[in-house]
Amino acid sequence: MNEPLTVDLLVVGAGPAGLFATFCAGFRGLSVAVMDALPELGGQVGAMYPEKAILDIAGMPAVTGRDLVEGLTGQAMTARPHLLLGHTAQTLAYEDGTPVVTSDQGQTVRAAAVLVTGGIGAFTPRPLPGCTGYEGRGLSYFVTDLDDLTDRDVLVVGGGDSAFDWALAAVGRARSVTLAHRRDTFRAHRATVDKVLASEAQVCTRTQVAALHCGPDGRIESADLKGQDGIRRIKAQRVVAALGFTASLGPLESWGMNLDGRHIAVDSHMATSLPRVFAAGDITAYPGKVRLIAVGFGEAATAVNNAATVLDPASDLFPGHSTERHVSTTREGDS
Amino acid sequence: MTHVITDACVDEKDASCMEECPVDCIYEGGSRMYIHPGECIDCGLCAEVCPNGAAVALRLLDPAAAAVHGPANDAFFTRVLPGRQAPLGSPGGASRLGPLDVDPS
Repeated sequence: MNEPLTVDLLVVGAGPAGLFATFCAGFRGLSVAVMDALPELGGQVGAMYPEKAILDIAGMPAVTGRDLVEGLTGQAMTARPHLLLGHTAQTLAYEDGTPVVTSDQGQTVRAAAVLVTGGIGAFTPRPLPGCTGYEGRGLSYFVTDLDDLTDRDVLVVGGGDSAFDWALAAVGRARSVTLAHRRDTFRAHRATVDKVLASEAQVCTRTQVAALHCGPDGRIESADLKGQDGIRRIKAQRVVAALGFTASLGPLESWGMNLDGRHIAVDSHMATSLPRVFAAGDITAYPGKVRLIAVGFGEAATAVNNAATVLDPASDLFPGHSTERHVSTTREGDS
Repeated sequence: MTHVITDACVDEKDASCMEECPVDCIYEGGSRMYIHPGECIDCGLCAEVCPNGAAVALRLLDPAAAAVHGPANDAFFTRVLPGRQAPLGSPGGASRLGPLDVDPS
């Protein structure tokens, strides 16, 4: 069991709305923790659209999902958040009126307010068919540490951006890189596909993983690839399955918030039906709701600042202009 | 307004869309796929991968085409399918329901 954490605001969901909310909380001087089921920041945008150009972010004529997440992350980090990645928010309880959220990893967060920016729900990687039980023995759904691929034979499975990004990252680091995809077309960004095809990586289309084999130490050492010419065995100590994600509201549905279909009903404060629990971004529902990132940013600011007045009723709803803040800190530094 | 599958899917059933859909809302019928209008989140990944151009955003179709393809897609859930007593409604996930070998008549 991890040490319980106490913060002013817990943000559940590290997509665009959650990252901007984190910045807003830091701007007001609130201590903040960010929890997300995925092991990386960026939510749906990072996981599903890293290479797509997004055209409807205010002030940015065109930005890729990856660049947007990078910018939002830099902004969010000014709040010095506690990051709880790979943690799915599981239960909500109240202790003396204060929300306490516990993750599926057993992390407890006591937060004066909770902000749910969960988008379409918690993301779960699609399992590699027929290969369950190999997680932690060489099979993973993410690469969180590229050094782990060094001098290994790496098998990447999938045809999307993540699969090609990881194959490319493994080239030059791994002993060998094989990318297996069950179709002969790829969804990944064309430029990345071309780079991988031009590299030493072996790309096998119309190929599926038929079986994984472990050595005496219980860790994967080879994989059987089934292609059009039958089955062949390749060396592989690391298998990265990048087959996309499924999303569901999951445990949030049992928190007792008023829901509207698969969305959380909120009022104009972005308050849910539960005390000290707010919501923002794609997950909210109210009359006239438009589900765009641009709207999520506004809701995040509304939610954080309204939450702040609940934490400290004497504080102003309006956080002040960031431009004023810059001037005042400069002056403090000067004096 | 969500995505729908058109009759360009008939007898193709490539099923790439089912592999991509993050909310498991693409259902397999006897001759083609159908997207659940209430479960779809309009992310567009199905349209990106369909080799037959059968998965489309309803809002991008011209009104005449939308008036044909929208109801034809939705009928899988709203009509009583052959051999059933009631419409499917909202099954809450294609993998939960599994493929059916019928289409709305």
